[in-house]
Amino acid sequence: MSDVNTAIQREEWGDVVILRIQSNSVDAISAAHIEQACSEMKPITVLDFSDVAFINSAGISVLLKFVVAARKNGFKVFCIHVSPHHQKIFKMVEMTRFMPIIEEQDLAAYTAAGSSHQPTAA
Amino acid sequence: MNRIHLNIPSDLLFERVVRASAAELGTTMGFSDERIEDLKLAVSEAVTNAIEHGSNGGRNSVEVIFALDHDKLEVDIIDRGSGVEAFNAERRVVEEDNLDSGMLRGFGMYLISELVDQYEIQSTSEGTSLKLRIFRPTTEE
Repeated sequence: MSDVNTAIQREEWGDVVILRIQSNSVDAISAAHIEQACSEMKPITVLDFSDVAFINSAGISVLLKFVVAARKNGFKVFCIHVSPHHQKIFKMVEMTRFMPIIEEQDLAAYTAAGSSHQPTAA
Repeated sequence: MNRIHLNIPSDLLFERVVRASAAELGTTMGFSDERIEDLKLAVSEAVTNAIEHGSNGGRNSVEVIFALDHDKLEVDIIDRGSGVEAFNAERRVVEEDNLDSGMLRGFGMYLISELVDQYEIQSTSEGTSLKLRIFRPTTEE
């Protein structure tokens, strides 16, 4: 069975792309759909977790595939709108070393200025 | 003590059913929102392990028993697989080497060990049982 409700909404500004994960759960069921977006990355890729209520280790695994794909291409991955609980989990496994969390104002400034500078990690 | 038995097919889609049940029972127990999130994740990891490693290719179902006591919630996750030699709950973090080699899994037991108050594992050649325990907050907390 698969999660037919999973989708990624994409927004681009120059070298920046925001991939809004439109799944309530980032888990083994939604992983395959989310992983497809690994091929849609840009030099600055921001994963938006606004709609994500749950992430487990299978979900962490698929998120790390974005990090792996980014490293291969010399890209950077950031995340935004991460809930306090998920920030705790990301820190437990030290995921934020490879996928730093940024704030809304960092993203707004960055997308307005194009790709001339990088967001500041929170 | 009240008990709720679930018997789910070995399909990861049904992990979500157990997770939703855990959330409802956490609310019933008066757990905080953050503690309910901890419970959901710990249960999710345990059930995912049972389905992936204990289902004999999907032939065996996974049994989950929630036991609500006045001071705690216990969750037993039982599979009928061939058992596991060792569980590694040591701290597991994302490392450069793991990214390069594609080893992106293996956080489950570490997360469980950090998120619940107590856990117990029994594994034989006839299956594995993992008991998770979270205590109800006292009035002072």
